[in-house]
Amino acid sequence: MIPKQRLIEIVGTENFTDQLEELIPYSYDASMNVHRPEGATWPESVEQVAKIVQLANEIKIPVIPRGAGTSLSGGVVPIQGGIIIDLSKMNKIIEISIENRYARVQAGVVCDTLNRELAKFGFVFPPDPASSSVATIGGNVATNAGGIKGAKYGTTRDYVLGLQVVLPTGEVMHTGSYTMKSVSGYDLSRLFIGSEGTLGVVTEATLKINPLPRHAMTAVATFSRLEEAGNAIFQTMTSGILPSVMEIMDQVTLRSIKENTDISLPDAEAMILTETDGYTWEEVEAQMEVILDIFKKNHPIEMKTAKDEKDRINLWKARKSAYATLARVSNSFVLDDVTVPISRIPELLIGIQGISKKYDIVIATFGHAGDGNLHPQILYDEYDPQQVERMEKAEAEIFHLAISLNGTLSGEHGIGLSKANYMTLEHDPVEMALMKKIKKTLDPNNIMNPGKRALD
Amino acid sequence: MAHNIQFDEKRRKAIAQCSRCGFCRAVCPIFDLTKRPVTNARGKMILLKELMEGKLSVTEAVAQAFLRCTTCMNCTVNCPSGVDPQEMVKHARKEFVQLGMDNLFKAMAETMAKYGNIYGEEKRVDWGHKKGNAPIVLFLGCVGTYREEESVKAMAETMAKYGNIYGEEKRVDWGHKKGNAPIVLFLGCVGTYREEESVKETLQLLDILKVDYTLIDEVCCSGVLEDVGYKIIEDLAKQNIREIKKTGAKNLITTCPYCYRVFKDHPAYQNLGVKLSHITQFLKDFHFEVQTQKRVTYHDPCDLGRHAGIYEEPREIIRKIAPNFVEPLRTRENAMCCGAGGGFRGSFPKESVRIARNRLSQIIEETGAEILLTECPSCLHNFRNARRQKQKIEIYNITEFIGKLYREKASFGKEAA
Repeated sequence: MIPKQRLIEIVGTENFTDQLEELIPYSYDASMNVHRPEGATWPESVEQVAKIVQLANEIKIPVIPRGAGTSLSGGVVPIQGGIIIDLSKMNKIIEISIENRYARVQAGVVCDTLNRELAKFGFVFPPDPASSSVATIGGNVATNAGGIKGAKYGTTRDYVLGLQVVLPTGEVMHTGSYTMKSVSGYDLSRLFIGSEGTLGVVTEATLKINPLPRHAMTAVATFSRLEEAGNAIFQTMTSGILPSVMEIMDQVTLRSIKENTDISLPDAEAMILTETDGYTWEEVEAQMEVILDIFKKNHPIEMKTAKDEKDRINLWKARKSAYATLARVSNSFVLDDVTVPISRIPELLIGIQGISKKYDIVIATFGHAGDGNLHPQILYDEYDPQQVERMEKAEAEIFHLAISLNGTLSGEHGIGLSKANYMTLEHDPVEMALMKKIKKTLDPNNIMNPGKRALD
Repeated sequence: MAHNIQFDEKRRKAIAQCSRCGFCRAVCPIFDLTKRPVTNARGKMILLKELMEGKLSVTEAVAQAFLRCTTCMNCTVNCPSGVDPQEMVKHARKEFVQLGMDNLFKAMAETMAKYGNIYGEEKRVDWGHKKGNAPIVLFLGCVGTYREEESVKAMAETMAKYGNIYGEEKRVDWGHKKGNAPIVLFLGCVGTYREEESVKETLQLLDILKVDYTLIDEVCCSGVLEDVGYKIIEDLAKQNIREIKKTGAKNLITTCPYCYRVFKDHPAYQNLGVKLSHITQFLKDFHFEVQTQKRVTYHDPCDLGRHAGIYEEPREIIRKIAPNFVEPLRTRENAMCCGAGGGFRGSFPKESVRIARNRLSQIIEETGAEILLTECPSCLHNFRNARRQKQKIEIYNITEFIGKLYREKASFGKEAA
């Protein structure tokens, strides 16, 4: 039973619902996990969030913080019921301080909205997940979102200077500072980054911002062998220059996009999409030359640079919408984000191909090869139990493969529900015990997004 | 009571195809206002998925949720998974009505059948006064599920007395009923009954340009019923066709993009036997002897742009009369809906007007324009209802604006003389 009246007292009637048709969308995210919440709220201030969390602790019902709900791992699916805390109405850009090189935003600010404002000053918040047109900063922090620019610019974690968090016990806390660096006390920001909403509700973030590079150049190369593409990638990443983007798309991915949209893409075993950026054209071109030389050594079918801005934008659009476009091919899919050390990318690519054949199931692979992060997308039909079984086996083998290559289960989507069963593959008992202890210390009643990541 | 709606193979596939990526959140005008997932395409596709899987039964509340869509198609053009959510919404609305979930638009269908227009206007007599801001009730009355009982009762009384929900007694007589002419001009309900000033200027413009056209005793194209769960009224369509044929005209021009689409696409109008154009298509090659130096911008109506693919013609006209023309950021295929379409203005008038207000703020901030042009009576009406005093921008239909420029030029000339 949810405390409806008390929740209405906190957020007002307009910002609370227990209506079935409104709760159903909250039962889902972009993964295959589903579970109904019992209520949903749209708080408009940190005070309201704190009161909701205090109430949850008192009555011992789960709360699930949520942004755009584009999670690919079930991180925001209310698996034990409870109340959704939707941060979408807390979407103010509080302060942009160019002279101090930071932006302070509420958790509900959409990534692209922030970057549109920053662009006016010639600045940028670099993490660039595919969902940036809708994903919120709160969600980015919760999953340590990466994205296409990760190869050069890192992930959300590298840009968080400080956070405002509502702890599971309802207290409001600040972490970090407004300075470019600080080593004053434990690095509590890092505890919350990537914690997938299980240690507290992030309500505000202070983000480091970078000057927007003045020039960029995009190139595309196709290969007839996955291995050669893989080699081209890790050779580039060790060549002395750092491309701003290094993406790969395999044949299944290329064919699906070509057959299902009007985006023209070549037919090849693999396509690499790369970009260099910098302050001067000379720098950008010099770096690109290094990359193109390396590509040449690896027997590409074809190589070319993007003709103009429109061409560039189209290439990025194709890449960013890859996973959603692949949804046209089958009724259902699971999208993973296994990550390995860069030199092991070729083995991972080939290994996934083998798994696809073994289980007779289509797997499209694309991703941020430049930081070792691949996205195998298993295409299947959720209404066919046999296909479901094959999908589960294939996914399990992909995780085993990645771990055997010294990799990790998740580079940027998070563990959520989808990967929780595999945590012990990657983490030793001491680690697991400590993570569980931390969770228990901060959230003694286990009300903060419970049932996730096998850590409660 | 539990009901089930039927999905054919094509729609089952579309529902499964939705990847729940959520990219539609970035462009939905209602989600932009409410931040409630059920108001955007993904939320609705999820409801359809559960209906399809038998996890959810059809209820009044579920049916009502599907009224919260302006069918603007911004989700469709941005969906990477190739889904057309607004089409699914319209289909769902029809299914709900079949199952007995009579939504608010049952009243509109009855009014339209009886009065030949969406407003229940009875007469076409001289109108003397400016009607000002009518209560924003379009179809609130008969079912009255969502709105206050008081306004419903008041409207029922008004309808009994005046024969229409606004208590309108008169309709402007525009003249121009020549009977025979090569061109028929079809105005549509919103222009005729709610934006007379705009219609007046447009007609005067056509006269200045010496266009040989006639008006007819039109009735509602009635296509809007198809979008809200009902069917076009065949008798009304036949009436319009008869009136058009009587004139011997070879060309039909509409001022309303929605009427244009209905005449173009609906089987009830397939025997029109005339060349159909929207007024912007007709006027784009004309030469205009007026110009403005003010900064002008353009709002693509959803029905003209995304639905009918007409983007260039209005711009060609504007460029001739406004050298200082700027586009908003969200323009063409990505233009943000004004909030009036798909029956939304009728079922959720307050939210509809708020969306228009947000779109105005967006346009003012992005373009700094003094004049906002569009060519759709519905968009015009919603924007004019929404505009606040502090939103410093003038709003016109393109044809209305050009007519106004001519009128100002003429009166200036008279003063000078």
